[in-house]
Amino acid sequence: MDTFLQQLINGLTVGSLYALVALGYTMVYGVMKLINFAHGDLVAFSAYVGLTLFTQFYGSNALSLVNIVIVFSLTAIIVAFIGVLLERLAYRPLRTAPRLSAVVSALGASLVIQNGIMLIWGPNMEIFPADVFPSTSWNFGGVIISFTQLVILALSAVLMVSLYIFINKTKMGTAIRATAIDQDAAKLMGINVNRIIMIIFIVGSMLGAIGGLFIGMYYRGLTFDMGWLYGLNAFIAAIIGGIGSIPGAMLGGLLLGLFNAMISGYISTEWAETFTFILLIVILIVKPTGLLGEKTAEKV
Amino acid sequence: MKITKIVSALALSAAVSTSLVAADTVKIGVQAPITGKYANEGQSIDNFVKLIVDEKNAEGGLLGKQIEVVTCDDEAKAQKAAVCAKKLVNEGVFAVIGSYTSGATQAAQTTYYRNKVLQTSDGTSDDLIKKKYWTFFRNSFPNSSQSDFTAEYMVNVKKYKNIVVLSDYSSYSEGLGDATEASVKALGGNVVFRGKIKSGTQNFTATLTKIKAMNPDVIYYSGYYTDGGLLRAQQKQLQIDADFVGGDSNDNPDFYKLAGKSAEGTVLINFPTPEILPYPEAKKYLAAYKARFKMDPPSIWPVTNADGLRAVIEGVEKTKSFDTKKIADYIRTMKDFPGITGPFNIREDGERVGAKFVVYKMANDGTKTVVSE
Repeated sequence: MDTFLQQLINGLTVGSLYALVALGYTMVYGVMKLINFAHGDLVAFSAYVGLTLFTQFYGSNALSLVNIVIVFSLTAIIVAFIGVLLERLAYRPLRTAPRLSAVVSALGASLVIQNGIMLIWGPNMEIFPADVFPSTSWNFGGVIISFTQLVILALSAVLMVSLYIFINKTKMGTAIRATAIDQDAAKLMGINVNRIIMIIFIVGSMLGAIGGLFIGMYYRGLTFDMGWLYGLNAFIAAIIGGIGSIPGAMLGGLLLGLFNAMISGYISTEWAETFTFILLIVILIVKPTGLLGEKTAEKV
Repeated sequence: MKITKIVSALALSAAVSTSLVAADTVKIGVQAPITGKYANEGQSIDNFVKLIVDEKNAEGGLLGKQIEVVTCDDEAKAQKAAVCAKKLVNEGVFAVIGSYTSGATQAAQTTYYRNKVLQTSDGTSDDLIKKKYWTFFRNSFPNSSQSDFTAEYMVNVKKYKNIVVLSDYSSYSEGLGDATEASVKALGGNVVFRGKIKSGTQNFTATLTKIKAMNPDVIYYSGYYTDGGLLRAQQKQLQIDADFVGGDSNDNPDFYKLAGKSAEGTVLINFPTPEILPYPEAKKYLAAYKARFKMDPPSIWPVTNADGLRAVIEGVEKTKSFDTKKIADYIRTMKDFPGITGPFNIREDGERVGAKFVVYKMANDGTKTVVSE
């Protein structure tokens, strides 16, 4: 039983990281019908930005809560800025172009960010400062949960709930949902579509930035090509949950993390990826729009 | 008539000029991971080769020819290694130093053999010498000698009851893991779990949680430091009360940085690290390396590769030829060649003989002390 619960905690932690990253994919897809392949690399970029801020500003001393909040906000702002820049330079000029052009542009942007990271921080592995959060952990009858894990789980939950409220309960959220359904109609209703898309990129990049910082704090080893690994997993999570659906990305992320942990723990790490893709195929066969994806009528 | 003369004169001068260039230089290849996660090892191999080559060139070169180093980045990937092998062969190198990983070395081996190009590598996978290519010799020691030493330490010295053996899926790590499991069993030890983790996935908690239920006394990991450091950190985080013994490739300063405070008490089994090598050649070359590159080599591996290069140079000078078959034969007959990593001999199948390993223990500030030899 301990073992099972421990695997559950392991899976949920990784799952919430996937979910945070998956939200960026799904929000952009929902509004623009574009898969932003550069999102994974933005996540890696934020981990590096966090690393630089933590080491440059505060040395190796113990960090106060204020410092941590400053680093989190600064990183989120920087990455949001890059996200908006990405949309301006790589996607906006192609908005009326065939969809394939935008996908190729996204792949190109991914390579630019990845190699940019390599040029700025170098090709070697960089290591995140130890113990940004206290290294305490608690033992609940054999199940261990560390402070960092707890922060990841709690803050991810808070972020996801706030995002849900923002999308469903605010005026801006309504505008975002309207734009997702039909851009032209939204324009006719007086919604500034360019502004909505900018907001989508800001919010998606900020969530990705927090995800990137968590990845840095939890795993600590950063490589310039790590965005690919997390991007791919988050992308699968978004598809499992139904790409375009925000609760779907959350569910998909958690599910993927749990599923991976259980397969690795009870069968073998050799089979983890195989089963993940089998799960993906089964879900797509049974429900092609993903678990929470909405059925859209074909517009002819 | 006139035209033919001019043409032939031109052709002749062209032929002379190319043969002049060919006579002046001779090329040695470096195949190593210059970028990617093992970049610091690869770059150091390249640096060490350049150090030794520049020294030789300053002395007047090899049989009067200046040595030119051609470096190819294989990113420690098999596909890239195969491309590098073709590229270096086309460049006309007569010997290749590298690569760092066994996988990348193996992928290039056959190309060098077919083109009669010498190759020496620090790869420790036992498979590397199975093909018995005369072009290849190993400048480090095979997994099997390390596994015997490790098993002896775990079973007879520390008397561990429940032993867990973990590796990743690479040719080197899997080979060392399997060999260690076999050696432990041969000594009557009890391997409760033999598992594999996927290198680079960063999250090993699933495997570790599974291990925790088996109450191991020790976790032995035969992979690389990039995963080993995280494995140790996550072991401590999950409060698995077991010793951690790492194979040679865990011995890198980044292991300590990744594991942080959890690194304390980690045991590493490796060759002696560069700074404790007692030989005069070691003191000379490591001082020269530090003076030029402002740092120490990250591990022993660039140093064993340097020894491989020095053996090739010795072979050329003693046989007075660039005939790779002659050089390879000579290297296999050398008696106690004074290497930077100690005197060594190369066996008929290309194996370096005379293994020496050291057990290190890590303190909480990342320093290592030798606990037994």
